Amino acid sequence: MRAESVVTPVAAARPLVLGPSLTRTGVVLGFGAVLGVAAMAAAVTAGSVGIDLGDTAGILGRRLLGLPLPVTWPASSETIIVDLRLPRVLTAMLVGGGLAIAGTVFQGLLRNPLADPYIIGTAAGASLGATLGIVAPLIVPALAVGAGTAWLGIGVVQLLAFVGGLGTVLLVYAIARGGGRVPVVTLLLTGYAVSAVLAAGVALLMFFSGRVLGAIFGWLMGSLAGASWSQLAFAAPLVGIGFVLLLVRWRRLNVLLLGDAQAAHLGVDVEREKLILTALASLTTSAAVAISGTIGFVGLVVPHVLRLATGPDHRLLLPASALYGASLLTLADLGARLAGGIPVGIVTALLGAPFFLWLLRRSRSVRAGLS
Amino acid sequence: MITRLRPLLLAVLAAIVLGACTPSGSPNTSPASLAPAFPLTLTDAAGRSVTIPSDPLRIVSLAPSNTEIVCALDACDRLVGVTDFDDYPAEVADIPKVVIAAQVDLEKVVAAEPDLVLAAGNELTPSSVIDDLAELGLPVLVLYPSTLEEVYQEIHLVGAAIGARDAAETVVADMLERADAVARAVAGAPAPRVFYEVGVFAGTIYTAGEDSFLASLVAAAGGEPITGDPLSTSISLEQLIAADPQLILLGDAAYDPSITPAAVALRPGWHVMSAVRDGSIRIMLDDPVITRPGPRIVAGLEALARAIHPDLFDPI
Repeated sequence: MRAESVVTPVAAARPLVLGPSLTRTGVVLGFGAVLGVAAMAAAVTAGSVGIDLGDTAGILGRRLLGLPLPVTWPASSETIIVDLRLPRVLTAMLVGGGLAIAGTVFQGLLRNPLADPYIIGTAAGASLGATLGIVAPLIVPALAVGAGTAWLGIGVVQLLAFVGGLGTVLLVYAIARGGGRVPVVTLLLTGYAVSAVLAAGVALLMFFSGRVLGAIFGWLMGSLAGASWSQLAFAAPLVGIGFVLLLVRWRRLNVLLLGDAQAAHLGVDVEREKLILTALASLTTSAAVAISGTIGFVGLVVPHVLRLATGPDHRLLLPASALYGASLLTLADLGARLAGGIPVGIVTALLGAPFFLWLLRRSRSVRAGLS
Repeated sequence: MITRLRPLLLAVLAAIVLGACTPSGSPNTSPASLAPAFPLTLTDAAGRSVTIPSDPLRIVSLAPSNTEIVCALDACDRLVGVTDFDDYPAEVADIPKVVIAAQVDLEKVVAAEPDLVLAAGNELTPSSVIDDLAELGLPVLVLYPSTLEEVYQEIHLVGAAIGARDAAETVVADMLERADAVARAVAGAPAPRVFYEVGVFAGTIYTAGEDSFLASLVAAAGGEPITGDPLSTSISLEQLIAADPQLILLGDAAYDPSITPAAVALRPGWHVMSAVRDGSIRIMLDDPVITRPGPRIVAGLEALARAIHPDLFDPI
């Protein structure tokens, strides 16, 4: 009779207000911060071109802190560190953090352990947008390289991916809405069906894409190879806004875990909250995806792992997801770069999935953790 | 008053004259001995305006055809970065690879400290990579010839860009002579319908796209090219049967020894084509030269002409 209570059998059994202890919060966030800094340091230091550790520190000191250090390195090293590696590492942190927090929100909101940031259409919409952007110059030569294709500091591909991702979620939401309500199951199925249509569009474009097939493929796999300061400047404010506005809604997310009916009884405007949370998580996801392609697994696994470690309280879960997601993607991208520039999505799936399986067998309580 | 201003006036005058001279670029503006060759502003195949500040001594090539052009202009020793696909001439084997498995490694390009990057157009070098390199302040010249005529133009362009105009003249003159010889030989001969097989992947047949370089090369070699979709370069078996090729050239046989005339004749449905019935199926081991728009493209043209009109040429 009450579908929600079937999905979350142990929901009512969990204490609602009692979050993790202060020490646990400190340990989880503290270790996450250390991991994040270490991942950043490693990722800036290592790359396909070996740059002396002292030089790297010197370049960062001069350019970031303005220290009057003597230049003992070739100009090319400075370009590699400041214009190639640094924006790429920061993009990895931003995208990883954004995907993980969006994944946390969707898993909680939809009360579905399979939910990830892409589940209601962001990935399919962004992919179609990006593919259109990549294929367009073949048909309209004026859009080709060097013809002034940058708007808002980003390329047409990034812009179309962002618009496609966000637009698709809004479309899915509008279709799923009936009688002023958006049932979770309807939302999921609508997202699935709309995604299937858009994926067919992507496949069609790929077939006729000729020489840009490789570019489309790389985008679909997810890659940070195109990271730049200008792309970062576009995505960072959007992800940042999404992050902060999601973070302050942790209490409502906790209440929604109880199911729509229970949450309504507790005074939450469920439908309004669902719309706001979906919009914010989709904004975060779309901005991240626009500059990285569809990187899988980070947004699915990180929330689950942290739920196992910290429990379901979103007050800790949301910031911790962002922190660990950022670290994970930074390390994965470092691996991708050192492995000869393969798409980072391959690394996240190749290493993330077995780790997740191991954790799943060890704990057997991932689903329960969702409640 | 006037005398005190004279140095200033002279300086202004000099600036105007120099300013008018610097953006040379087209080879015919002034005799090379008078105008300084660099800085030089050129327009590349993507229509981009590229300024090269001084005679490039450290060149990175992002495509094998670009490498071959540089080496044909006797500037092989100026290459500081090439692709892992480069195989000609032999001396490029020792040059650091900055493109690995078709991925441009930006860090390696920057570390090579190039003063000129030769990229390939039409997404052979991804346009995002070209934008990134230009944003890093590197002079990037995009080359993408889509006809034989444009190969000559681009060799001239590279010749200008690296201060080797005379060498470019010599190379192009030699190429023109050989292409003319082919044109004279095949002139007047009936042009058979030629299907050039680029590859067959997952049942989809790929050939020369409509209006593609390959199609123009087949035409120049005295054949009538059967073409596929201009974007995907694929052709359906039905279309191919309807086009009824009189000659099948197997470019993919250069890389896959299992592709033989006998195997092609056994493909379902292919037996109805004139070429299969007449046994006019040839393997094209010269495919790497035919599909690489560099100085050796005329050798590819000769190979195609020999395959299409074996009776018009002396046996090698």
